[in-house]
Order: sequence, then C-alpha cells, then structure tokens
Amino acid sequence: MDVIDRIKRGRLFFDGAMGTMLQSAGLEAGGLPEVYNIEHPDIVLDIHKKYVEAGADVITTNTFQANALKLKGCGYSPGELISAGVRLAKESGAEYTALDIGPLGQLMAPMGTLSFDEAYELFKEQLIAGEKAGADLVLFETMSDLLEVKAAVLAARENTKLPVFVTMTFQEDGRTFVGCDPVSAAVTLSGLRVDALGVNCSLGPKQLMPVIDKLIKYSRVPVMVQPNAGLPSIRNGETTYDITPDEFAGFMTEIAEKGAAVLGGCCGTTPEFIKKTKAAARNIPFIKPKREPVTAVCSGTETVIFDCGVTIIGERINPTGKKKLKERLRAKDFGYLVGEALSQKEAGADVLDVNCGLPEIDEAAALTRAAREIQAAVNLPLQLDSSDSAAIESAVRAYNGKPIINSVNGKAESMDAIFPIAAKYGAVVVGLCLDENGIPETAEGRLKIAKRIISRAAEFGIPKEDIIIDCLVLTASAQQELVIETIKAIRMVKELGVKTVLGVSNVSFGLPARPVLNSVFLAAGFGAGLDSAIVNPMSPEIMRTFRAFKVLNNQDRDAADYIANYAGYTSENPAAAAAAAPHGGSGSGDLKSVIIDGRRELARELTIGLLKENDPITIINEYFIPALDVVGDRYEKGEVFLPQLIQSAEAVKSGFNVLKENSSSEGAGKGKIILATVRGDIHDIGKNIVKMLLENYGYEVLDLGKDVPAEEIVGAALENDIKLVGLSALMTTTVKSMKDTITALKAAGCRAKVVVGGAVLNEEYADFVGADYYGKDAGMTVKIANEVFGHLN
Amino acid sequence: MNGNTEIKLDKSEVLRYMGHKGRNASPSIESVVEECMEEIVKISRYRYVYKIFDVKIGFYKGESCIELEGANVRLTGNDIYEHLRGCKKCALMAATLGIEVDSAIRVAQSSDMLKALALDACAADMIEKVCDIAESEIRLKAEAENCGINFRFSPGYGDLPMSAQKSVLGALDAGRKIGLTLTDTSLMIPGKSVTAIVGFTREYKRPKPKSGCEICSMRDRCKLRKAGTTCGRN
Repeated sequence: MDVIDRIKRGRLFFDGAMGTMLQSAGLEAGGLPEVYNIEHPDIVLDIHKKYVEAGADVITTNTFQANALKLKGCGYSPGELISAGVRLAKESGAEYTALDIGPLGQLMAPMGTLSFDEAYELFKEQLIAGEKAGADLVLFETMSDLLEVKAAVLAARENTKLPVFVTMTFQEDGRTFVGCDPVSAAVTLSGLRVDALGVNCSLGPKQLMPVIDKLIKYSRVPVMVQPNAGLPSIRNGETTYDITPDEFAGFMTEIAEKGAAVLGGCCGTTPEFIKKTKAAARNIPFIKPKREPVTAVCSGTETVIFDCGVTIIGERINPTGKKKLKERLRAKDFGYLVGEALSQKEAGADVLDVNCGLPEIDEAAALTRAAREIQAAVNLPLQLDSSDSAAIESAVRAYNGKPIINSVNGKAESMDAIFPIAAKYGAVVVGLCLDENGIPETAEGRLKIAKRIISRAAEFGIPKEDIIIDCLVLTASAQQELVIETIKAIRMVKELGVKTVLGVSNVSFGLPARPVLNSVFLAAGFGAGLDSAIVNPMSPEIMRTFRAFKVLNNQDRDAADYIANYAGYTSENPAAAAAAAPHGGSGSGDLKSVIIDGRRELARELTIGLLKENDPITIINEYFIPALDVVGDRYEKGEVFLPQLIQSAEAVKSGFNVLKENSSSEGAGKGKIILATVRGDIHDIGKNIVKMLLENYGYEVLDLGKDVPAEEIVGAALENDIKLVGLSALMTTTVKSMKDTITALKAAGCRAKVVVGGAVLNEEYADFVGADYYGKDAGMTVKIANEVFGHLN
Repeated sequence: MNGNTEIKLDKSEVLRYMGHKGRNASPSIESVVEECMEEIVKISRYRYVYKIFDVKIGFYKGESCIELEGANVRLTGNDIYEHLRGCKKCALMAATLGIEVDSAIRVAQSSDMLKALALDACAADMIEKVCDIAESEIRLKAEAENCGINFRFSPGYGDLPMSAQKSVLGALDAGRKIGLTLTDTSLMIPGKSVTAIVGFTREYKRPKPKSGCEICSMRDRCKLRKAGTTCGRN
C-alpha cells in the first residue's frame, strides 16, 4: 500500500533523532552526518534498525543536509550520499523510507542571496537521486521559509512522483526564524497540496501545543508532529532534554487525540521515545479532524482570513489611468511601487492588488518582479492582477505565501487558462460575473455565471472557499437602474457559500463628489454581505466607512482601531483645515537655511512657495545645491556629522518631491548614473545614502539594488548609455566581485567611468579593482560625478 | 537561547555608531534616535548560542593552527593563536537579532534615510549588548572551572579569515539553533549577527583586554581610530 493510502486509513509513526544518535556514536560538532552513510554505514544502519524495532513505520534517511551547497568540499556528491542513505534506510527493514531534506542553509532573496531558481535546482538534484535510489516519499523538515518550501515542493512535484511531507520549525513565540506563523504555513502548504504538513524540532510537545492546534485547524491535509524530547539543557557539557519517554508518549497521545495523523520525534528522541509513543497512541481512534472551510490568503508571514470580517484590498498599484505609475513602470522603478504599497498599508489596507499591465512592457517579468520587491518590504498578502495568464503564472510561482489571482471570468477559455494555475499553486481566485455576452443586467444572470465558475473550479479540485465572486458594478451616471442589481447579486451569490468582492469606484464615474457615492455604495455592499472591496485606501471617506462598518459588524473589538484613527475627529473638512494652516513663508528666501538645518516639512512648504515664481532649475541651482554645498563643506571639516548631512539631504529630497509632483521632467537632467552593491554583498545603506545625495544634486540614479550580478550591471550600462557607474562593497570578501564587474564592463566595451566605495575600500583597493575613482564618502562621490559630467564643483 | 532579558540601549553609543561626534546632537536627531531605540528593542527577536570546547594545537598545510576537541573547526593565523595562548578551553558563540531587524532597516531606507541610519546604529548597539549577555553566561561557566575569560574575537579580526565563519557556525549548529545562515561570500544573514571566540584564561580575574585596534585589520584606515576613539570592539 503506498504511503498516501496508508495515512488515509490510520496513524503513521516516524522515527526519532538521527543527529542525537550519531553524536553519541562519535560524530563531531559541525561534522557532516551524511558522510557516515559511506564511511560508517554500519553505525547508520544500526540506528535505523533500532527505530524499526521500536515500531517506526517510516525510517527517515540520514540525508538532512546532503545538498550541493552544504557538501561543498567534503569530497562526496549529493547523489552519492543520498543513494547510500536511502539504501541503508531500506536495508533496515522499514515499511517506508522517507528521503530526508532539510533547509539549504542559505536564506533566499530578498532576505538572503539565494534565488528561487537556484533553490529549486538544488532540491531537484536531491529529489531525483532519492527517488532513483528507491525512497517512498520525501520529508522536507525543519523548514523556516515558506518560499524555500515552495521551491522544494515544486521541485518534487515537477521532477518526481514522491509523496511530499513538510514540517516547519516554530520558536517559542510561535513563529519560525524568518517570521512564518503556523496559520500561513498551513494555508500555503495546503494550497500546494502537499500530502502531510506539520511541525518538528525546536521545542518539546508541551510547548508546541498552540502551534499544533493552529495547524490542525487550518490544514486541509493530514498533520504531522515531530517534537524534541522537551527543552534542551547542558549537563556536564552534554545536551540533554527535559522529558522522559513516558512523558513524551503522554503528550503525543494528547496530540493524536487532537487529530494529528503522523507522529514521530526530533532531537533527543531515542528509540525508547518512539516505542512508548507508538504503544500509547496506536489505540487512539483515528478520526480525521473536522475542519471549517475558510477563505484565507497570506504572505510569507501574515494571513488574512476573509471569514473574520470585511477586508480592504488596495487598488493603487494599477497603471490604468495613472500617468506617473505608467512612467515609473516603464523605467523599471520598482521602488516607486514599493512606496505605493507601504503607503496603502499605512492607510489600513489588508491586501494589495498588483497590476503591471502596460502594452509596451514584458508584463510577466514586471508583475513577478513587482510582487517580489513589494513582498520584501510589505507583509500584506497580494492580489496578482493581470489578463495575461503567463504573467499570472510567473508571478504566482514566485510569490511567497498564498495569493489571490485577479481574475477569471465565466468564459470557458478564461477558466481553462487560469484554474490550472490556481490549482497547482494553491491560489484563491476572483471570479468575475461576466462572459462572452458581457455583464448580465440582472442579478439572476450574474448568479448563473457565478455558479458556472464555481462548478468549473471544482472540476480542477479548487474548493468553493478558494473562490471570491465579483458581482461587478455598473456606472450610476450611465445605467442607474442597474446599480442595485449588484447589491441583489451579492445577496444571492453569498447563498452559494462563496466569498464576494467588489471594485466600487466605477459606480461614481462621471459624477461629482465621487468619494461620497463610493463610500455609500460600499456601505450598501457590506450591508448585503459583501466580504471585501477593491478600493483606494488613501481615500478618507472609504476608510471611514470601512472602519465604521467594522465597529458595527463587531469585527473591530472595543472599537479599538476606530478610536485609534478617529479620536481627534472633528466634523470640519480636514482638507480645508489643512489648506487654512499657515504656510510659514511663501517664496521666502530662507529655504537655504532650512535645508542646512535639516527641516524637511518646512523645506517642502518653502519649495511650494518658491515654485510659484521660479522654475525648478532655478530652485535646484540657487537653493538646493548651495545649501548642500555648505553642509557638505561643514561635514568635510568635521563641524557636522553624518546624521546632520542626511537630515539636510532628506530636506532637499522633500523639496525635490515638490518639483517632481509639479513637472513632468525627472531630476534636473544633469546625467544618469548607475549605482549597485556588487554580487555577493547585501549591505546597501551606504549606497542608498550616496544615491540620495546624487539625486539631491540633480542626477538621475538608476539603482540596481544589492547583490547585483556583473552581467546585469553591464547590460544596464550599455542599454542606458551610462557615463558613470558607482559600485559598492562592504566586505573584503566581496571586493573581488567589484573587480569582476569592472573587468566585465571593460570587456563589453563599456566606456563608463567607475567609482567605487564602501567600508573596506581605500585608494589601494580602488586601484586593485581597476576603478577610475575612489569615492570615500557621499560628498566625494558627488564631486566625482560633477567632474565626469563636466559640471562645476 | 531565545533572549528574554530586556535590553536597554545606550543613546550615546547609538549616536557614535551613526557617525556623530562630540556631546549633543540636535533635539530632532535625538528624538529620531529615541524612537528607533524603542523600535529595535521591540522588533528584534534576539537569540544566542555558545558551546565550550577544549583547545588543542593542530597542523594545517604545514602551519600550526588551533583545533577544537570534538568539533570540525580549524582556526588559522597568528592572531587567534595569540588570543588563545595558554587557554585550555574556549567558547564559541553566535548571536543574532533576527531577520525582522534587517527588514525594518530595509523598509526605512525607502522612506527615511535618517531613520534607517538610526535603526542600523541601534541594531549595532543592541547586538553588542546581546553578546554581553552571552559573554556573561560564558564567564560564569569559566569561573566554575576557576578560570577567567578574555575577550570576544571574531572571524575577520586580524588575520583570522572570514571563511572561519562556516566552521564556527557549523560547530554551533547555528542555522538550526538560532537561524543564523551564511552566504557564499561568508556574510551572515540576518545581518545583525556576531560570532566570536572567547578564551578561558587561567587568571580568575578578568584580564585587561588588549586594545581591539592593535589586532584589527582595519587599523590603518579606520576613521574612528584616526579621530582618537574606537568602535568599541575590544
């Protein structure tokens, strides 16, 4: 019987700690346990046999870190150690052999430097070797990062037929090392349709109870639990754990009663623990836990559950009708999108819609990159929005967590394109109530399409709770009599047991005071049972309606959020109040000293004033730059220090933002400069300070970010005909990447000058790497830029 | 190993890490710093791990080096040799503030560079304080064996190469125990992390530490040193 059938019928018992056993057999700290598969096979086999004798149904191979990264320099390949490991596990007489795979040992981007594709390839190599050697399933264990798990699960699904079990490791505060919580783990891994999911290591069974409860509540697949033998303590230099096999078995019985289907042990659980556990838990009736279907979406660290009340989906990251966003998307300025994401989060959005649809750009690449960059800064779940299924698939694949796909509709071709993606990656899908014949006028017509979408989804194995129906809004100024059909449709669709969403802004098109109509319509929608709305969270009216409803709905307990936001509320129009506030000085010549003092709000106001009578170039040349020169000079003399320099730079930046808001030109056209932290290095605060100062002086900076490969820098330099490239590195170990990058630039025939900077650099290193200039600080780099571009210093 | 002790940051230290010299910063800078001190303490999930080993002398590529009994660790160079001279035992330690701090610093950079600089400086102060906690536990272990301890010596100091990080983290099982990982280029992630080697000395009393500058590879170009101060690592 294969293991998947087996866990449907009864509880499955895994083995215990391999590491603990090997250490007591003489493995040194930091040594590679996997090498024992070849050098001391008898020891490994003996451990496996002891667990078989203790009653383990599944033996886990001794291959936890047998990946190409960890094995570098050990003399063995993953394939060699894995086939030896699987062979030993099978030889032990185990009923099933689980190929054991742990984390790769490096963090994935954006936290670390390992890419999704690199991670995928590393897992793939292990998986293929394990299946070939005869493993019956794979266990990914001790995982922390959901994105790494996703790469692992996809590598397993796309390259082998192995059933996939996953356990993650949560700390005392209920989160993994990278911040993942059990709900997000259960929601995402259930979506990816793993065969079992759960928790292992770090804590004893007692401390893991709250985590286990959440996993059982939110998992749609069998739950697996492998705790440590209690909490560790050091006695006479040896690590020991604080509970006995009998106590462990007692807790495991309790865990079995909660509904866990797969039990085993981790650090410190010797065969005795497994034996006692099996003896105690085998007679607990095997009952699948009853699960409430919930609609949940998440990022790598936060989950939004639609069943808990109304949800606001921020609509601002969509280029339709937004000139500035279009321009920034074309310029690949993803930092701008991140800024939009952050401000919507701050305004109270729960989920963010991301759309990068512009005819002249590669939408798949843009949407994927946008999702990745936004996820690096904002922990809200995302709604990936495109009419191009290739863009959807690319972005959903790279997404960390369980996203929403926006959208599918009642047309057969739309459903056939999108549902396979939603099913494979486990996404929630927005279904629009329209088809070949457009939007039905009546609520009944829209209900019919909703039913069609739900039943077609079911054919792909997508449950109702992963569908959110959009009943669609018509414009009151054009089809006034049909507006109320939407509200009727929401009521009817809710009867089907699915969640609903609505983009409300269309209703007010062509009418004055749009926020008033939008928010009243939103309230009517909520009243009819609407679960979520795609709206502009920067609109005070919308957010007031939303927060008010959350109070009336008993969702905002004790009105805490409402009070926090509106405690100082007066009925006066806030916009008018702001406009009436004194402006400090219109056109006052004091901007220079305000910048020198680093007062950014005042700098903004004064720039607004000056702009009435001056053009942007004058303001830059007669106020910004002279002020910065003064501060730079004082900094050089040691009269002011870095914090003050940055304060002044921030003041200029806020002034610059005023100029940008009021003119279409970017910067002062002084020249375009590339900045990047080189491959292998992830420090970028210094580079970003340089960037700010260069922008302050009117240069346009193409910021390629950190850990940037040489090819990308060369490509960008050639494509943009760049005259100056700035490279940053902080560590001696990454200075070599700097040299490689400069060599590559020259080999490609790029004639750009190169300036280098960073903590370890000096003149000597700058010569060594072949740079034209050494920028010892941000001020110096500005002077170098002025020289390269022929501007007077 | 998960930190529970409440840590108090030192404002003057934070300002120094930010590059501020002299006595008082402006009130506006001070208030940013105070806000950031609170935030870093709140968001960091600090953790540390250490382990005590017997020190022995081994040979590697024809040169003598330091080896640790029962661990797959080889420490090369004169400076670590000097650091552990006469020590029968030493502790390896690793500490981190967790990935949330990296993330907060990154996010701040997109909106407010002064805040980013302040957060970064607060984190630098905080990780030193976490190391102090680990070190005080190590000192108790040393005292129980009638030993004192010397100071925290990290890979990258003097001629101990950064590449020693891999074996130090391996011997501590730091990936699994505290979530501390290494890139191909030997950078630790989370970024605000420290590893160190602390020797058990025969003197029960703590010896006066040698100035960190004397053994620092940055000594010839260190801006702090030129200005007559130190980065605090000693």
